[in-house]
Amino acid sequence: MTKPLDGVRVLDLTQVFAGPSCTRILSDLGADVIRMEAPARADVTRSLMHVDNDGQEVPWERGFYFTIRNAGKKEIVLDLNQLRAQEILRDLIAQSDIVAESFTPRVMRAWELDYEHLKAIRPDVIMISLSGYGQDGPCSDWSAYGMSLEPASGVSQLTGYAGGAPMRSGLSFTDPYSGFLGAGAVLAALHYRRRTGKGQYIDLSEQEAAVPLAGAAIMDFAMNGRLPERIGNRSASAAPQGCYRCAGDDDWIVISIANDGGWAAFCDAIGHPEWKDDARFADVLSRHANHDALDQLIETWTRDQDHYEAFHLLQRAGIAAAPVLNGKELLLDPHMRARGQFDEVEQPHQGKRPVQRHLAAKFSKFEASADAAAPTFGQHNKEVLGGLLGLSDEELAQLERDGVIASAPTLPVPAQYISRALKLPYDRFLELGTLRALEPDYKQTLGLE
Amino acid sequence: MTDSALSDLRVVELAQGIAGPYCGKLFADLGAEVIKVEPLDGDLSRRLGPFPDDEPDPETSGLYLHLNTGKKSVTLDVAVTSGQVVLKKLLEKADVLIAGKGILSIPGLAYEDLSAAFPRLVYVSITPFGTTGPYAGYHGNSLTAMAMSSIMYSTGEPDREPLTTGGTPADYIAGIHAWIGAQAAIEQRERDGAGEHVDVSLAEAAACADEYNGAMYAFQGAIRRRYYSRHVFGYPMDIMACQDGHVVVVPGAAGFPSRGMTEAGSVSPMSLLMGNPELDQHPLFQSAQERMCRWQEVDELLQPWLAGTSAKEIVELAQALRMPFAYVPNVKDLLEDEHLTARNFFRNIEHPRAGELPYCGPPFRMSETPPQVERAPLRGEHNASTLRELGYSKEEQDILHERDVT
Repeated sequence: MTKPLDGVRVLDLTQVFAGPSCTRILSDLGADVIRMEAPARADVTRSLMHVDNDGQEVPWERGFYFTIRNAGKKEIVLDLNQLRAQEILRDLIAQSDIVAESFTPRVMRAWELDYEHLKAIRPDVIMISLSGYGQDGPCSDWSAYGMSLEPASGVSQLTGYAGGAPMRSGLSFTDPYSGFLGAGAVLAALHYRRRTGKGQYIDLSEQEAAVPLAGAAIMDFAMNGRLPERIGNRSASAAPQGCYRCAGDDDWIVISIANDGGWAAFCDAIGHPEWKDDARFADVLSRHANHDALDQLIETWTRDQDHYEAFHLLQRAGIAAAPVLNGKELLLDPHMRARGQFDEVEQPHQGKRPVQRHLAAKFSKFEASADAAAPTFGQHNKEVLGGLLGLSDEELAQLERDGVIASAPTLPVPAQYISRALKLPYDRFLELGTLRALEPDYKQTLGLE
Repeated sequence: MTDSALSDLRVVELAQGIAGPYCGKLFADLGAEVIKVEPLDGDLSRRLGPFPDDEPDPETSGLYLHLNTGKKSVTLDVAVTSGQVVLKKLLEKADVLIAGKGILSIPGLAYEDLSAAFPRLVYVSITPFGTTGPYAGYHGNSLTAMAMSSIMYSTGEPDREPLTTGGTPADYIAGIHAWIGAQAAIEQRERDGAGEHVDVSLAEAAACADEYNGAMYAFQGAIRRRYYSRHVFGYPMDIMACQDGHVVVVPGAAGFPSRGMTEAGSVSPMSLLMGNPELDQHPLFQSAQERMCRWQEVDELLQPWLAGTSAKEIVELAQALRMPFAYVPNVKDLLEDEHLTARNFFRNIEHPRAGELPYCGPPFRMSETPPQVERAPLRGEHNASTLRELGYSKEEQDILHERDVT
């Protein structure tokens, strides 16, 4: 199976979520992605969340957040404080079609690794920087995490219960969102390079990337001076639309009914044809006006229903609906499984695990899948520096002795302290309610053993 | 004049609403010729607004204007044979067809119907659940996709219903994935000469964005629940009320004192920010786990300071201390934002019917081929020029129009 980016080499200097999502897509499309880390600066996600909540004696190999974002990539570890490492990096840049990075802008300039310097090494290089606020402007050197940027993009002002405060989503939303856009931008730059031979520089600001989600609200303000109200799960046009409690401890279904025909079909499907005669809900405007009462009525039906069964019942009647899946249900959902949303990889120190797709496109000719495990720390030092740069075994051994390359991180404290410090207090989380359950037999449930 | 990255591509957009049109917009902003084929009464979004002074007018819908920059508009009834004949002439010169929901079920317009006649065509479909699998053909929108993705289950307050993210994000994410998929298929076509079907579903596109809900189960057996949308590995990391609005409080990796990381005798950035170095001795300042589990006490500690301090003071000092705090702007704040203005993000563009309005700039910059945002078309604005280019005489164009084909 050939893939569209076979033969394209990406040097990946990114960390955490946005950048690795971008390069994960390029990797799944066939690119040879070589990550770079530093001995004293491992990607924080290597130790962020440990398999079975236990980092053991190798916490940097037990982080599964790292696994799902970096499956299929290669990795080298270079200490850029040493001149020899900087030379090696330059030799790698000379052989790379694409360089991706996600530092705050001053970092790459300080290392003389900004686009102007890269271009001097490789004139047709395509470089992409994913940063919080972009490469110029008064806030460009601000530090940013994914959780800062969804609010900064304006999306959080659109998120929340009616009458409530602005809210974040349950993820660092702009990170994957920017990573996806970045992958598309790189493909466009490759297309242009194929046609003209020219590389270029892509400056992606995570804040700006997500502003278009507020596009209609921005127009409304410009046209009418109006600020949007938060509307929970409702729609400005379809009614009813909402999230309704089902049978079970914390199971829910979303339902969206577009028009009068949909409302009639809904009433018939759930065995309440008499609701059609209720004047409060007879037309779309009255369904909007009486949405609270309508929600209560709908919940009298949903709260005795299994969320999956109600979903199929409504869909068969032509109604847009979906169960609100939790992480376990997402993995086990028959449709997600049938369409291959998860690829199985054998991860060293972690075992056989499903890792999610990062590109939702299903192609006739190939699979945009993760085809290997995520790399262990510096796993491909020898393969990349020996194979690509032609360094001999003796040279590689010397580099290792000099600490120019490494296959284990330099830790500030012993590994077991890190494992202990990063163990999440799951028993207390269960009490608090941040976890719904902790299932010790999950591997059997997922068919992993 | 500068070149555009995709100026050699022609895209036919047969999609309404948000997802397909956002895909088409990404192509158009990068210089592709995008011909938007609209129903005779126009794209659905032309009816959705917002409208100036709330007066509905298909030419001034804010949603339509926002999503259809730089495209050409051709009105065509693709459900009838005469319309499909015109469409197929368009497809002869097209690299990509963007097919939105509803299109695949029109006889003659499925991928299988078109692939033999147009072997080089990249056919991108965008549907709620995809074209295969047990839920193929099921109905949905951004809300159903967010529900399926697991993201919604982890968003919202613990005692209330799960909450979707604002701005119909699954539509936009699906549009982006369709744009990536189409470009990948074109790259593949450069190698083997053949087009293919790219099948994008809203539900999977949203699920691709999941941060770790699925992974927490796959690697730990833990089922994460919504808890004020908080991350499971730290607190505070949330939007909080302050004197004059809201701020994002994100102390980051080095914000609180930590053993082995903070130098002896130094004061942590959070204590400095709050103007009270003694806080470093507080048990909640010294343990990340305690902060997560006893978050109400953390809030009590922060609230008097937050209530007496403006967002600007908080964010500027926090940033000076290198903590990733941020503002929580509304759309007015965004339009007036100094940083976005300095980067020339919003573009004022004149439209013959809607006048001058601020449009979102491109979602990324490209040094050699800067993406452009140009005005959206009027309904059917390019009927005559497009049909002429396809070889239709004036008389034939009149017949097509009189017979309700265009």
